[in-house]
Amino acid sequence: MSGYDPVSLGIIWDRLIAITDETLSSLVRTSFSTNVRESYDLSCMLFDSKMRSIAQGTYSVPSFTGTAPNTVRLMLEKHPPHTLRDGDVLATNDPWIGTGHLYDINVLRPIFHRGRIVAYSLSITHLPDIGGLGFSATARQIYEEGLRLPVVKLVEQGRPNPLLFELIGLNVRVPEQTLGDFHANIACNEVAARLLVEFLEEHGLTDIDAVADAIVANSEKALRTAIAAMPDGTYHHAIDVEGGEDSLRLAIKLEVIGDRIHADFTGTSPVLNMGINVPIGYTKAFVVYAVKCVTTPAIPNNIGCVTPITVSAPDNCILNALPPYPTGGRHVIGHFVNPLTMGALAQIVPDKVQAESGMMSLVNIQGRHRDGRGVSSIYFSSGGFGALKGIDGLPTMPSPSNMTGTPVEVWEDITGMTVRRKALRVDSGGPGEFRGGLGQEIEMVNDTGNELTISCLSGRTQFAAQGLAGGAAGALRACLINGEAVHPKGRYFLKPGDVLTLVEPGGGGFGSAARRAPERVAEDVREGFVTVEAARRDYGFTGSTGRVPHP
Amino acid sequence: MHRIAVDIGGTFTDCVLMDEATGAVTLHKLLTTPDDPSDAVLAGVDALLRAGGVDIADISTLVHGTTLVTNALIERKGSRTGMLVTAGMRDILDIGRERRYDLFDLRLAYPQPVVPRSLRREIGERIGFDGTRGEALDAKAVVAAARDLVEGEGIEALAICFLNSYANDAHEQEAARLVREALPDLLVSTSAEVFPYVREYERWTTATMNAYVQPLVNRYIAHIDERLAGIGFGGQFYIMTSSGGMVTQATARRFPIRLLESGPAAGALMSAHHGKVGGIDNLLSFDMGGTTAKGALVRDGRALRKYELEVARVHEFKAGSGLPAKAPVIDMIEIGAGGGSIAAVDERGVIGVGPRSAGAKPGPACYGRGGTEPTLTDANLVLGYYDAASFLGGKMGLDLAAARAAIDKRVAGPLGIETLRAAWGIHEAVNESVASAFRIHASERAFDYRRSSMVAFGGSGPAHAVRIAGKLNVPRVVLPPGAGVMSALGLLRSPFSFEVARSQRTRLDTLDPAAYAEAFAAMERNARGILADAGISGKDVAIERRLDMRYEGQGYELEVAAGATPDGLAEAFGDAYGAVFSSIRLDEPLEIVNWKLEASGPEPMAGRAFRFDRDFVPGSALKGERAAYLPESGVTAVPVLDRYRLRVGAVVEGPAIIEERESTLVIGHGDTATIDQHLNLVVDVRGATAS
Repeated sequence: MSGYDPVSLGIIWDRLIAITDETLSSLVRTSFSTNVRESYDLSCMLFDSKMRSIAQGTYSVPSFTGTAPNTVRLMLEKHPPHTLRDGDVLATNDPWIGTGHLYDINVLRPIFHRGRIVAYSLSITHLPDIGGLGFSATARQIYEEGLRLPVVKLVEQGRPNPLLFELIGLNVRVPEQTLGDFHANIACNEVAARLLVEFLEEHGLTDIDAVADAIVANSEKALRTAIAAMPDGTYHHAIDVEGGEDSLRLAIKLEVIGDRIHADFTGTSPVLNMGINVPIGYTKAFVVYAVKCVTTPAIPNNIGCVTPITVSAPDNCILNALPPYPTGGRHVIGHFVNPLTMGALAQIVPDKVQAESGMMSLVNIQGRHRDGRGVSSIYFSSGGFGALKGIDGLPTMPSPSNMTGTPVEVWEDITGMTVRRKALRVDSGGPGEFRGGLGQEIEMVNDTGNELTISCLSGRTQFAAQGLAGGAAGALRACLINGEAVHPKGRYFLKPGDVLTLVEPGGGGFGSAARRAPERVAEDVREGFVTVEAARRDYGFTGSTGRVPHP
Repeated sequence: MHRIAVDIGGTFTDCVLMDEATGAVTLHKLLTTPDDPSDAVLAGVDALLRAGGVDIADISTLVHGTTLVTNALIERKGSRTGMLVTAGMRDILDIGRERRYDLFDLRLAYPQPVVPRSLRREIGERIGFDGTRGEALDAKAVVAAARDLVEGEGIEALAICFLNSYANDAHEQEAARLVREALPDLLVSTSAEVFPYVREYERWTTATMNAYVQPLVNRYIAHIDERLAGIGFGGQFYIMTSSGGMVTQATARRFPIRLLESGPAAGALMSAHHGKVGGIDNLLSFDMGGTTAKGALVRDGRALRKYELEVARVHEFKAGSGLPAKAPVIDMIEIGAGGGSIAAVDERGVIGVGPRSAGAKPGPACYGRGGTEPTLTDANLVLGYYDAASFLGGKMGLDLAAARAAIDKRVAGPLGIETLRAAWGIHEAVNESVASAFRIHASERAFDYRRSSMVAFGGSGPAHAVRIAGKLNVPRVVLPPGAGVMSALGLLRSPFSFEVARSQRTRLDTLDPAAYAEAFAAMERNARGILADAGISGKDVAIERRLDMRYEGQGYELEVAAGATPDGLAEAFGDAYGAVFSSIRLDEPLEIVNWKLEASGPEPMAGRAFRFDRDFVPGSALKGERAAYLPESGVTAVPVLDRYRLRVGAVVEGPAIIEERESTLVIGHGDTATIDQHLNLVVDVRGATAS
């Protein structure tokens, strides 16, 4: 297999991960975009010379783990390794090469050591803007969604290509922030190159191929062992999600075949002329993610965690959209691949699977600040986390991605809006022996004195987070302007003084509510997470409505 | 006159008596008394006075470091605390950061807020993000809510937390005044006074924790003060903070959250002292004990700072699973790896060590107290670094066979490798993870460790320090005498200091120099006032200003030293940016984000050394030879020496093992250890880094 015994392998493996952690931290610290610095909408990965991913920064978005190996392969098809020089940097935001939408820029740098390429460093971040309609789901074709960059040589032997920077700057609303983030990506990959070369020098290595063999083999073996422990079989599951006008059906057939898994999405609704279509790379990413959560959560990410899993889907079903279908809000549908896959896995390992989560909503806001500054920022807010066997769902926790909420004080300062309320949503958690996590309610006023454009990108306004093993569903989401419900994937204008309200859903419960421990019901009532009325209705609570003494 | 320092740690209370005239020190270590920590303080003081032949009347100063605040937060032993919060924002403490600290582990756990939801009351008021006053404060509601919380819920402390108070704290101040008038016995903390930084969740969590521990800290200080007075102590009683400075009792009672982690801070301070004495600009402070390893960076004689610390982590050592506290603290890395850390084969099929620890009970397998899992201490014993008979100065015999059996069963067997190789893997995995943590920590701070030295201490530190230094290309390791009580020694060198910090975003290109000067002047008045209360004369106070700056729109800042005027800030930022990130400079406007000012009094014992003479004894240092594993030569007969018999100027060529009471130094082939004039063991590292 390789010349590495477990002692050396463990040490070198940890070191490679430490290199990607350091790369990621330098990216976060230099980025201009709130999505990156507050919400960690990014990823940093190291590939060996054979284009296999071998280490990933710990705080990377999970979905990119699944898409990145393909990204690197396609980028290097366009610019083959023998044409690359030290200091070159490639970039693309093509949805079918990268992460499924134009907003993510993929930046790749070959790492040279002793005159040849020994590795590649890839970073991905969600840009503050890429032109077009702005981050929204309302485009009918990809051409409306912004600037689509093929695989370009952004930097040639250390010199940034001025034409490309001018071109990008002309096409976006906040050029200083967007170009700043291109530079942040360039800089972090420079850090990765320096660190890897230092590591090679220190260990007297000429490349990392042999250690990569061992890392990939060990990871793949762990996942295959876990899959092999599941009974072979075919497991079907389907969920409904909101689309444009009508609902959509997502269907999975998950097959466990020995030590591998195949997921097929036949039966899934077709693509729409709306930016919520999902390229298959993104679909696969969430299958890989769900399987990893229930099998090998502690194995650091690399290509070995991906190879035992394959996917297929009919062309132009909404989980395998082809160009030129728009994909701007692909996560709005794509994130549901996680609960879809979990639903199939629940038939195999129910105690390891989570009830459905409320998931996050994302509102893209553009306009002018009170002081005239341009505003282009995304507001993330989370619904409740699904419960698991043994633990209540956490309140307001993102799933399956990890987009962090923006603090009220930071948001008000960035946008000039006023947040009047950000509060837990009582009774929104799905009842169960283990209760679903609470959602929240956020109310913000356009106090900028200017009109703001808002694009909503969310679901769960018709289909709630389902419970598991007898647990009940969480409450639905709503998005309101001046108290009137609007479409969760629409684009709207907020006049000065208008009020936007985001009502975030609860997570599903686990196990029958009748089995919930009475003292936990009483505690929920005391702290106001569940009202007395709901506690009586859902849990058979018989306690009083007055002030309940603390323990 | 004499000074006494008492540092209460998790397991031990360390005490030092120092003669102010000669610098001669007397050391004493005793078990911490968790039920009433002042028992150990009193017993320690008594033991020191006897050992030193000194009367209590001769003690001018007693400096105290305590884990009281940390423990109260971990064990939830604080008081019932209420909160007044801006209307609409009551649930911010539950909503938290909306971030998972682990992407793949779905069974996440977060600590509960210290103020339960039912003890939070919303108040009508609003300050805008730019500090403008929007809705007026509902004064009636403030008093009514506070009264209800006291009378109906029995709270002892109250945190007042309003939105955007970092920009303007008028409403918080007004509410605090109203509450104090109406309820003079209630302890009140306001979020902007505790730490006026932007981000409501972190600031409010800090303020609520400050309130939560305030009654406890008040009682503790009063209690210990009374007991010390009872034995005739008439000197000054000071408390150590987490930033490495002392404060008076009054300041400690007002800002108890600043007392978190004072022991490790004092240890880092002691490392900084060794750097100054040795003329080393940059050094790494490395402390490794039973459950964790801690590291700090010292630049130009000062340990680096940070302004957030996570306490009461629920999920072992996972960052993000605790409560954030905003306070000036020594910027410390903490790794869940110490002598008691348990080794196992992880899911990847390689050796993983920690963060699970066997603790003191059952302890490592070799302690023979029922532990069956292999620990780092077991590995070090099997490798021959520790001696089964002379561990802890011979107070505790170790069971080598038990250590081997545990490693065989849990690591060597499953991996199909030899016991010795497995032991080496455990030892080296810890070295690597400490080195990696130092690397990332240093590079984020543009700290060049290659030209630095390492100061190593703690029970397990010296057995690992030299190889870790080798991995980092750090050429020199210093092992000071009295390393077992480093924190207590650090307390004796701690100056009075108080740091004031605030968030206030300001563009550099439109900055008015007069406004700049006034902003710092206001902070300076505040900080000087606190030192004046401690009796420090104005002329003895040193002022240091620092700014966090960034390109406008960026989210993370770099710290830049600042003067009384804003001249040269852009250049200073450019240099710092290039050093940390990239050679590409941006053509973006710069802004100041956070303003920091620290006032410090003179350092006690400045420029003078401690004297440890009485520890050192005559005679031959060579105790014998021991078979120990070295990666370059395999099992090797290695000379074993007694540190207390090594004289100034003695030179020891590696490989060698040098033993002292609480720790053991291992040096490899090519390394050289010498004893310098201050009785430090100084190792020149030439060790290889191959694994």
